Amino acid sequence: MRHYSILEYASFRWFKAAIALVATASAAYLWHEPPLKPYGGTWLGYTLGTVGAILIVWLMAYGIRKRRYASTVGTVQGWLSGHVYLGTALIVVVTLHTGFELGWNVHTLAYVLMLLTVVSGMYGVFVYLRVPGAMTSNLGEDTLDAIVLRVGDLDREMREKAMSLPDTLFALVDKSVHGSRLGGSLQRIVSGADPKCPTAAAIREWPQHAKRLTGDAAKLDKQVFGLLLQKNQLLERARRDLRYKAILDMWLYFHVPLAFMLLAALVVHVVSVFIYW
Amino acid sequence: MKLLLVTRTQRPEGRVAQTRKTIEVDWVRVGRNASCEIHLPDARVALEQGMIVNRDGLVYLEGEAGSQDITRKSVRSVRMKPGEPIDVGPYRLEAIPAPEGYDGAVSVEKARDADVAPDFASRVSRTTLRSIGMTKRRAAWISIFVIAVLFFLVPAGRVLDLPWREAAMTLGIGDRFWNPGPLMLGHQPIAAKCAACHEVAFQQVKDRACLKCHEKIGEHVAPAMHPAALFEGARCASCHREHKGAKATHRDDDGMCIACHRDIHAKARDAKSGNVSDFAKAHPKFRLTLPTGGHGLKFPHAVHLDRKGVKSPGKGRVVLECASCHKPDSSGRLMQPIRFEKQCQECHRLDIEPAVMAREVPHGDPAAVAAMIDEFYANLALKGTRDSFQKAFGVPGEGLLRRAGAASEGEREDALRMASRKAAKVTAELFDVRVCATCHEVSHAKDWKIAPVRASNRWMPGARFDHKAHASAKCADCHDVAMSKTLRDVSMPSIETCRECHAGSAPTEKKVTSNCLLCHGFHDPRYTWGADAK
Repeated sequence: MRHYSILEYASFRWFKAAIALVATASAAYLWHEPPLKPYGGTWLGYTLGTVGAILIVWLMAYGIRKRRYASTVGTVQGWLSGHVYLGTALIVVVTLHTGFELGWNVHTLAYVLMLLTVVSGMYGVFVYLRVPGAMTSNLGEDTLDAIVLRVGDLDREMREKAMSLPDTLFALVDKSVHGSRLGGSLQRIVSGADPKCPTAAAIREWPQHAKRLTGDAAKLDKQVFGLLLQKNQLLERARRDLRYKAILDMWLYFHVPLAFMLLAALVVHVVSVFIYW
Repeated sequence: MKLLLVTRTQRPEGRVAQTRKTIEVDWVRVGRNASCEIHLPDARVALEQGMIVNRDGLVYLEGEAGSQDITRKSVRSVRMKPGEPIDVGPYRLEAIPAPEGYDGAVSVEKARDADVAPDFASRVSRTTLRSIGMTKRRAAWISIFVIAVLFFLVPAGRVLDLPWREAAMTLGIGDRFWNPGPLMLGHQPIAAKCAACHEVAFQQVKDRACLKCHEKIGEHVAPAMHPAALFEGARCASCHREHKGAKATHRDDDGMCIACHRDIHAKARDAKSGNVSDFAKAHPKFRLTLPTGGHGLKFPHAVHLDRKGVKSPGKGRVVLECASCHKPDSSGRLMQPIRFEKQCQECHRLDIEPAVMAREVPHGDPAAVAAMIDEFYANLALKGTRDSFQKAFGVPGEGLLRRAGAASEGEREDALRMASRKAAKVTAELFDVRVCATCHEVSHAKDWKIAPVRASNRWMPGARFDHKAHASAKCADCHDVAMSKTLRDVSMPSIETCRECHAGSAPTEKKVTSNCLLCHGFHDPRYTWGADAK
């Protein structure tokens, strides 16, 4: 079955709606004859501003809707599709609302926050179009939980076998068993790597300690080293998975607080404008 | 050596399980290596930590610490006896009585916790941004708080009279960040005082706020003419939008004018102006403001602009130009009014009798003129020199008071009668023929009378005209007076003349685009705002 992205939802229904909104706003702007020059305080300015404010509130309501699993007000897919397209159209509506009048004030602050929020959202769309594919090719049929369990199994097996290996090698294995980490800090989660990973270190140092072994010990050493390699590969895949998930999450840490900042600035903008009407 | 190995394992439920194993070797190795006879799988045990040998009983030996080579110097050598266990890592080894057929027996049990590999899964818990304590909610609340305080609560302190009003005002950032754009130049000195115009919160700026300073600004039409519905809802700010830049005061196109003036009588029945929608296409002809009752002056431009020049009393023939008499005022926009003393008198002298004496009568007061002439001749009759006396009265003699001896009463009366006769003759001649009548209409009933002169200096008071802006044109391009013989020839330009250079609102090649406000103003200073302005 072909996968339909949210961008194509309902044969581009929201794309068409956004185009219609942008076209209407632009046409009105071109046709309008303001008393001095275009700005937010003409009747068209008030209209565009009202449309923009309602849009912002609606766009933020997506955050509520997507948590209401029982809701039947549209589908979450549809809401997201509209969120993406109308959010993009918001740039045009609000820019026309400003009449290109910008300055060092709370009004332009709201405008800039709106731009930042939308741009971070666009990055989010980009990420959601790209990253899931990479995640699938990284994990395949596996899940992170399964990988973690397998690492645990490897640890047990490896340690048991390494008991019969010389202390230096056993120490490497033991460090790998005790010290290997997944995530734990922002830097490690986002980079998808752990430069101090004891498993990778064990693999690096193994040959120089193992080359003098002979007989049964040499055989055992090969087995343990193989297990270490397997473990390291699993860890790398798991770390990539954490990184991908973090990328899918990370932009929201900008998008959501920016949106709330925008909401606050928007309220201040509207109230202050009417205090000094 | 034949050794019995008894391994005791503590089961979770508390029961102790025992396994027995028989070992037959020369020496029994003890270590974590699986190949050791006594295999102690624990990280705390060395690979081959020690060995048990039979030397008339069991002896436990250990080599150098960490050494895997038991041939090295032994560092620990213990004879194993029942009741004296020895510790190897977490294990406890103890000799027990050997059964029949055995050289010895050893029990092994774990004395301390088992060394188990830590479970990897239990350590993998901080794998997502949320799990490492990153929350969007806190960031959202903080940003809402910062913006609300910095950009609303503090600035609103003054205008909404909040408890921290004074503190917010001393902070100085006040409502600066609410200012949506630069003010007009003239308003910039009060830019920081929002309340100068924004008097009451949540109310639009009232006209009276503007009129506090702009009290002299006029209304558009006489208040009496205000059709109530016409300007209803219109505010100063309907046209004058503030915060739109230093030089932006109002819109500069015709839309708002034409909205009413396209069909002005539909808006204001008594309007005196004609309909207009564009200077080039639909604009009424110019209507000049002319003096009522005639101008009262004889002035042929043609004579004064004679190319051969005009005779002057002092400089012979003088060729006059427009600028000889018409001087711009200090603004350069309009011409100064013509004044006899400035522009005329140099040639048009008001001499009483130049042959006798250079003496001029004053301009503008007929009674004073007559009195002055009377005095002039009376003075000559009394004090005139022989020469001037003869020239003035046409008889030989000299002023009465110059003669020897005191003059009799009769002589005085005779002299003054003569002077009076002469004065009357000269006065009549001066008014009627020689001087006044040159330019003025003179009548003489009881006293001499000069018809009033009604010169117009503002022919089109409804329009703003700037001579300076038109300096590149010749005077005659608009005012063709070279052939004019009388002041009845009004030579103000017609709309056609203006249209030669001025287009309407639509840009036209080689013409000046001209909208309403190029020549007309909205505010008429004649109609000042009443005290009832809102």
